[in-house]
Amino acid sequence: MSAPVRTLVAWCPDWPVVATGVDLAEPVAVVYANRIVAASPGARAQGVARGMRRRAAQGRCATLALHERDEAREARLFEPVVAALDDITPRVEVTRPGTCALVMRGPSRYFGGDAAVAGLVHERLTEVVAGRTDIRVGVADGPFAAELAARTANPTRLVPGGDVAGFLAPMKVDVLERPELVDVLRRLGVCTLGALADLPASDVLARFGSDGLGAHRLACGRDERPPDARRPPVDWTVSDEIDPPADRVDRVAFLARTLADELHRRLGRDGVTCVRVGIEAETEHGEQLLRFWRHEGTLSDAAVADRVRWQLNGWLSGSATNRPSGGITRLALIPDELIAAKGRQLGFWGGETEVDQRAVRVAARLQGQLGADAVLVPERKGGRHPDSQLRLVPAATVELTGRSLDPEPDAAPWPGMLPAPSPTRVLAEPIPIEVLDECNHAVVVTGRGLLSASPFVLAARGKRIEVRHWAGPWPVDERWWDPEAHTRQARLQVVTVDGRAHLIALADGAWAITAQWD
Amino acid sequence: MFDTRAMATGHARNLAVELDERADSATRRAELRLVGDRVTPMALAREQTLPVLGPLVPLFPEGALRRGSIVGVRGSGATSLAMAVAAGPSTSGAWTAVVGDPDLGLAAVGELGVALERLLIVRPEPGNWSSALAALVGAVDVVIAAPRHCISDTDARRMAARLRERGSVLIHVGDRWPVGADVQLDIAAGEWEGLGDGHGVLRSRRLDIQGSGRGSASCPRQLELLVPGPGGAVAALAA
Repeated sequence: MSAPVRTLVAWCPDWPVVATGVDLAEPVAVVYANRIVAASPGARAQGVARGMRRRAAQGRCATLALHERDEAREARLFEPVVAALDDITPRVEVTRPGTCALVMRGPSRYFGGDAAVAGLVHERLTEVVAGRTDIRVGVADGPFAAELAARTANPTRLVPGGDVAGFLAPMKVDVLERPELVDVLRRLGVCTLGALADLPASDVLARFGSDGLGAHRLACGRDERPPDARRPPVDWTVSDEIDPPADRVDRVAFLARTLADELHRRLGRDGVTCVRVGIEAETEHGEQLLRFWRHEGTLSDAAVADRVRWQLNGWLSGSATNRPSGGITRLALIPDELIAAKGRQLGFWGGETEVDQRAVRVAARLQGQLGADAVLVPERKGGRHPDSQLRLVPAATVELTGRSLDPEPDAAPWPGMLPAPSPTRVLAEPIPIEVLDECNHAVVVTGRGLLSASPFVLAARGKRIEVRHWAGPWPVDERWWDPEAHTRQARLQVVTVDGRAHLIALADGAWAITAQWD
Repeated sequence: MFDTRAMATGHARNLAVELDERADSATRRAELRLVGDRVTPMALAREQTLPVLGPLVPLFPEGALRRGSIVGVRGSGATSLAMAVAAGPSTSGAWTAVVGDPDLGLAAVGELGVALERLLIVRPEPGNWSSALAALVGAVDVVIAAPRHCISDTDARRMAARLRERGSVLIHVGDRWPVGADVQLDIAAGEWEGLGDGHGVLRSRRLDIQGSGRGSASCPRQLELLVPGPGGAVAALAA
């Protein structure tokens, strides 16, 4: 089996924070779906860590400035950084904004050794980022080891060829970035990559499936998947002309989406999938722009379309010297590194499925179209009223997959809550009504919580309807400790002669329909 | 006597000839049926269905929701019944979207069996209504629409075509939908149980549901159900 390709990875720490353009000494963090995804050194010094909830982070550091994650901006600002490496090698690939990789074979021979290239890369990038952040460079066999080398570098680290397994062995299994697998491994006592690599590959496959096998291969210092020896034939490349030439991202992005779909379909038809895709654009003055993007998993059509948009953003909004001189006339997607599409093993119970993916995507699309407040998901909160047991929150603020909204099994019931069935219609604006007894006198609730008479008729807006059955009143006295929020009300369930059921409540001397069963 | 499907392949024909030589016609017929079943494709496009909850099965001609179809629900109690219909696919992993129902009681939706963690509530302006619905169709398996304004005939037809193409199910509540539904459920009468004069609590509602529709659903059906039953979920009437 051939050793992985010798790779150099350049890493800008905290890129999401750097991209916000603030001073890193300040406590700043970037959040996505209510979790911290990156924090400045200033924030980390006060105990803010990745993966923390927004509230918890604010609890640690009251002056923390929070920014929503904007991957498009991260990618756009990263483009000049990558462009600085273009004269070292034409094949720079972006792993994600903040991290890029290049294959060492050519440059190493040309510049006289790995150390020389690493030094050169570090020098170039430090010049470009101009003190906004520092640059770490790692060189090792394979992108996985190279990235780990970059993360432990200060500022450059070279792992000698052939010694990858030795370099990886003492690393914690957490670096695999597979939380579920890592959790199980740790409980089994497999805490380091070395310990994982010592396990027989066949046993790892039997116990953890292809995902586990991929992790095992990485731990042994090999490529996660055996590379497919086939060179991708030209006809997998999808491209399209743009006429008239486009100089705005949104116009090209629209085409990118269709191209990504098309590429995905073609690859799917031939049973392959790509982990690296080249995005090529041609301008009306004949300039050719090409950049490669890699993905740890395989690139889905939506992921490809996102990357194309980011890349175009980077090109079109670059500085005057870097940006293309004319509009883009042609866009092509080149699937570069292909592997056999064995499919991803989706969760058997729970976990993420293709169905979830589609729903998450449509939620994001509708938010863009209708506004964030128009797409809502339920979230459980406590309460005794039908409208307070669950509330609606914008879908953008929660992680949509893998949630569970089942009531906690050991939670005690709310005192004063009406038993199921709950009303299907909870009126945002209660309908004011009058409740009358047989002699047309208003029904009131006494201080002891009893009705003054049996309700006979409900009257609202000039219409009267007779009550067939009723039960109650059930008084609630809420928040008596807070004069502002203090409410007292008495509730009745009423079925009127037309067969409809209503929940009516008396508060501050006025009756109103608060909910209905439809 | 010969099942035409059994004739479809050479393999089946050989078997049929072989069987023809046998004297016993009863076993022959039984075996032929087996052969017929064997050469039927696993699932025809029109047979792709989403499951419904057990008590609701008699309301649907296939005993399940056919993908790409429109289900209409009308009458007092329509919201509960629509949620109960959506509960079947939802419990088996599908996502549900509710478009344009500002006062929906979420606790009731959960009690009726819809998985709340796979529920999207979309509230478009009337002008964006059809584009929002079009985006949801195909991405979400069950879309429940409760329009408060009239849907134009063109929009409704376009939506029906899109549903057939993408395989989602649309459940519309109320009578604002201009095009006929594939399966129409009308609530003829409803009776609450559990509440007395000054005592008791709402426990269940007996609904008299009339089913009609198009194609295989055109044969009228009638069913009494508890929607909601005790505890909030839909239940069959105790015999």
